[in-house]
Amino acid sequence: MERIIIIGGGGTGAAIAHDLVLRGFDVSLFERGELLSGTTGRHQGLLHSGARYAVHDPASARECIQENKILRRIAPQAIEQNDGLFVALDEADLAFKPSFLENCRACGIPTRELTARQALALEPELNPSLKMAVQVPDATMDAWRLPLHFFATARANGARIHIFSEVIGFYQANGTITGIRIFDHQTHREYDVQGDVFINAAGAWAGKIGSLAAIQLPILPGPGVMVAVNGRLTNMVINRLHKADEGDIIVPQRQLTILGTSIWLADDPDLVELPRDHEHRIIELCSKLVPLLKNKGAHATWCAIRPLISLSQTGDPLEISRDFGCFDHNDRDNLSGLVSVIGGKATTLRLMAEKTADLICRKTGRNIACKTKTKKLLHYRHFYK
Amino acid sequence: MRILRYKPGHIDPARYQEFSLELDPEMSVLDGLEALRLNQDSTLMYRHSCHHSSCGTCACKINGRERLTCTTKFKELKGNTITLAPLEGFKLLGDLVVDMSPFYDDISEGWSYLKKSEYGESAQLPEGIKKFERFENCIECGACISACPATHKNKGFMGPAALAAVNIELKKSAEKSENLLSLAANKRGERLCERALNCSRVCPTGVYPARHIADLRKLIDHGIKTAGSKGKQSSGPGSL
Repeated sequence: MERIIIIGGGGTGAAIAHDLVLRGFDVSLFERGELLSGTTGRHQGLLHSGARYAVHDPASARECIQENKILRRIAPQAIEQNDGLFVALDEADLAFKPSFLENCRACGIPTRELTARQALALEPELNPSLKMAVQVPDATMDAWRLPLHFFATARANGARIHIFSEVIGFYQANGTITGIRIFDHQTHREYDVQGDVFINAAGAWAGKIGSLAAIQLPILPGPGVMVAVNGRLTNMVINRLHKADEGDIIVPQRQLTILGTSIWLADDPDLVELPRDHEHRIIELCSKLVPLLKNKGAHATWCAIRPLISLSQTGDPLEISRDFGCFDHNDRDNLSGLVSVIGGKATTLRLMAEKTADLICRKTGRNIACKTKTKKLLHYRHFYK
Repeated sequence: MRILRYKPGHIDPARYQEFSLELDPEMSVLDGLEALRLNQDSTLMYRHSCHHSSCGTCACKINGRERLTCTTKFKELKGNTITLAPLEGFKLLGDLVVDMSPFYDDISEGWSYLKKSEYGESAQLPEGIKKFERFENCIECGACISACPATHKNKGFMGPAALAAVNIELKKSAEKSENLLSLAANKRGERLCERALNCSRVCPTGVYPARHIADLRKLIDHGIKTAGSKGKQSSGPGSL
């Protein structure tokens, strides 16, 4: 079978390796650092129901609810399956409710309306002056262990996973990418790897990989700040019932509560600096939902960089779709042998991989069905066995 | 920062290298490592993923003590020079990166990583949820093993993380208790613990492995007494 080389060991690379190796391809993956050290491992840990996107980004919302159901089945050990609430705090939130419910229904996201009293009975630390809440199937995922399930299964099925192995250049011949040059951070040696198709799955860093092959990609690195506070204040994910905004999602996890997030756009994902004022603002905004947060100091504050796709750019980064695209550079740039996956989010990693592997099948003239929807993943601990 | 550098065949044997870095005291040690890698030496190897003490990848020795780089802020550390070294008791792969595979030798994939959430015991459950669950506290960082003197003296010792995992699983799955206790009671198990308690001191997420080992010891002692009082009938292999 064809040799497929994946560049990037984030959630996307993990799921692509799993999918392709199940379809019988010869798969190698290269990651410049530790696995999941770019964006995936740092995300807020929200397994989206899709409700967050239902009003302004229904395509992503539909993908999220479909993948949410699949991931709950194939990796149950990596998910706290406690559902989530969208909480209305004022009249403006209530005015948003009808379109929210209607769009959730249209996207296939189950909802259940709760009175303020019912919501407080489930989550006693909610702002007692809430108006009402809507239950949705959000959940908490382990941002390291869920994608590690994919890596564990991919490796057990024959994929070769290389960490601390940085791609530093491409080899081209007659308009075709034929190989990559790798710098091995462990030995400081460089070596070449040949392949039949190369997949750029470097997430927010995909533009940098593209530039090594002298191609431009529609990628916008979109950093956001998250804050972890000590103490678990809720069991369910808590969202504000309003148009998606900053500081309106609270994800409980273990003994922590993770607050998110902010958003801005950056040119170089390696040069993003954490704006210190965001921490205070996010705690303030989230404390409207759960007032106890106001007295909490930050346990950790960090930045994660969304890989935003910039095909239909709007002025407001919150409005940029969280959808994804697979690009065949043969069609786009007259460069054969290279595919890029741009955009997406942790909840939809399996679907991104399915679409990418479908494209690899088309490129290689093979007709092999995707098997990842139902294939239960190996436990993440298997990665180290 | 003084960082132990090691690259097999390249920086070999390992040696310390000093870096100067302008610090914001609010920065974590991991933020400092990221700044060094991006601005001074792109070949610096360290593990990291979540940046908030959930993944367990970034544990190393900071000024001689096992800690997570992601939640240790420079302002908490004494002195102008911070010394970083990899965890002990694991094979060194490069710089601060160790091979975590042996950590999982005695931790089964069959042991659940989820537990019943203790938060809001009196809270009602939403429709469709049978019980509120959450992940285990142990983030499998390896700090307890690096800090354990018994682990370094006796390579066969299961170590504090695996013994804590045995006791946690024992509490969840009574039906497995016979097998789990025989694991803890074997010659690589609880008996090799020297009660130094370093494991509980360095654990970044409050697992307190030493308490779990003490629990196991009581159960094993009780089992031996019970087996002894019942005579030969129940003293066969695996009867603890």
